[in-house]
Amino acid sequence: MNIVKIESLSKHFKILKRSEGFIGAFKDLFSRDYKIIKAVDNISFKVQEGEIIGFLGPNGAGKSTTIKMMSGVLEPTSGSIFINGYIPYKDRKKYVKNIGVVFGQRTQLWWEIPVIESFKILKEIYKIEPHIYNENMKLFNELFNLKALYPIPVRKLSLGQRMLCDIVASFLHNPKIIFFDEPTIGLDVSVKNKVQTLIKDLNKVKKTTIILTSHDTGSVEALCRRLILIDKGSIIYDGDILKFNRIFGAYRTLKVELEQFEGSSIEVLSKTIGEKFPCKLPIPVRKDDDGWISLTINQDEVKLQDVLNYIMKEYPIKDLKIEEIETEDVVRKIYEGELV
Amino acid sequence: MKRFLYYPRLYTLIVSQYIKARMQYRADFFISSIGILLESGAGFFSLWVIFHSISKLVGWSYNELIFIYAFSLLAITPSQLFFDNIWHLSSHIRQGTFIKYYFRPLNMMFYYMSEVFDIKGFTKLALGIAAFIYASFKLGITWTFPKFILLLTLLFSSSLIMISLMIMASSTCFWTGEASSVLIFVFKFGEYSKYPITIFNSFFKLLFTYIIPIGFVAFYPSKFFLRPTETNILAYLSPVAGILLFVLAYLVWKKGVNSWTGTGS
Repeated sequence: MNIVKIESLSKHFKILKRSEGFIGAFKDLFSRDYKIIKAVDNISFKVQEGEIIGFLGPNGAGKSTTIKMMSGVLEPTSGSIFINGYIPYKDRKKYVKNIGVVFGQRTQLWWEIPVIESFKILKEIYKIEPHIYNENMKLFNELFNLKALYPIPVRKLSLGQRMLCDIVASFLHNPKIIFFDEPTIGLDVSVKNKVQTLIKDLNKVKKTTIILTSHDTGSVEALCRRLILIDKGSIIYDGDILKFNRIFGAYRTLKVELEQFEGSSIEVLSKTIGEKFPCKLPIPVRKDDDGWISLTINQDEVKLQDVLNYIMKEYPIKDLKIEEIETEDVVRKIYEGELV
Repeated sequence: MKRFLYYPRLYTLIVSQYIKARMQYRADFFISSIGILLESGAGFFSLWVIFHSISKLVGWSYNELIFIYAFSLLAITPSQLFFDNIWHLSSHIRQGTFIKYYFRPLNMMFYYMSEVFDIKGFTKLALGIAAFIYASFKLGITWTFPKFILLLTLLFSSSLIMISLMIMASSTCFWTGEASSVLIFVFKFGEYSKYPITIFNSFFKLLFTYIIPIGFVAFYPSKFFLRPTETNILAYLSPVAGILLFVLAYLVWKKGVNSWTGTGS
């Protein structure tokens, strides 16, 4: 059964064109010069009950706007949206009874109040039956030892602890669907893993449909089987994460900081690398703002080690790092024709 | 019945927890209470100083002015106790934290206002009651049951006027992103409600009666008790003005909530 049905959904914002400088700022006070920003532009997709879906995209791609429309905050400019039998922005109060929302670093628990009291308030708000409440609290304790945090006011929790409490709280009233907007943003690796395990386990036990957004590939890979990649307001990929992984899992970004390397020779380096390591598409070599040079390498085609050896032979290397492919690079690759 | 009690019960639950938490900041409570006592006390003191050299102010006696002053303190108290979160609306809007109020199956204004309960308002309340009793004793006002009911009705509608003005002022930030100056402006005008409207010139008389109706906060309703024979037709409109303004304020708030787009995260 489809719990989410979204068809040709768009959200356009009218934004005042800003002029530069002090005089420009003064002019803006009286300006009627608007431009239209297409934050979300004609997207359609369906979600099955119980699925975990990851929305991936660079900053400003339209993920948050989509989630805001799905959670009933924003009214779409056009298109239809139907979730759990409701039109979110129209029947907000009825609709939100059966959803949960966790928005990045902004807690929805009561700032001054101890964690357990926040849960009791939620019990009243959602009119949760005592046996369901107790059952859920027991489950939360089994999955993740929460008891130690009960008496602490929310404002005294660390970011990670707060995130875990917010996640658990969003499951308390047995919602049909939960939205997580950037649940792992700003967390260190070990807490990130904890958050991912918690979401995964709760989804397994509760069969709750989960929709999450992220700007980093790692946390989507860890959680979702289906991925929707969004850029400039449009969906550019919607499908199995395994297929996605097969293609992008092999990619690594090699970053090197070279000594005595002038900006002019970046073309030379790019050319020689292209000749030395022929690929389907030439290996992109670019110079970042911080002076580092990064090469995105498909390990299925070329051994990263060979490229590194070559560079080391030619130029003295000051420092180097190897990273997973960035979302921006994934988006670029898709535009270049991969994954079709 | 259960449905009817849903919001009161929820409010009691949230606020009692909030007060419990706030009690941890005892020093803050005492210091700000002393501040409020001094601030409101200074108002009474300046009245006392003025009436040291004159016996009447445009026909109003010292005790009558104390009565109006006390009435306005009592009328402003509920806005401080129950609606103090209004002062934080601008920052919630600017930081995008306002978004969370959309996600609970609650009336959004209720949810938003229930989050803060300013216990310091009790200091104002105590001072208001004391001054009110003092003035009505000095003026020899006899309190009958119907009169007392009238008093409560008028205080209720006066509070509504003050609350509505503050809600409308702060709701402007849904469109502008910043409402502190508008809010302070309205709040400062509220201060003028402590004086008889007749002491102002005709421009301000019109302004405070029809445009920013703070004359209805304390002056017009007080006349019922001070000069029953001089009561003009406007005084009867006080409850109507209160209810109409609140409806208007709620609509402005609702329009703001619906049109706010939120900041990207």
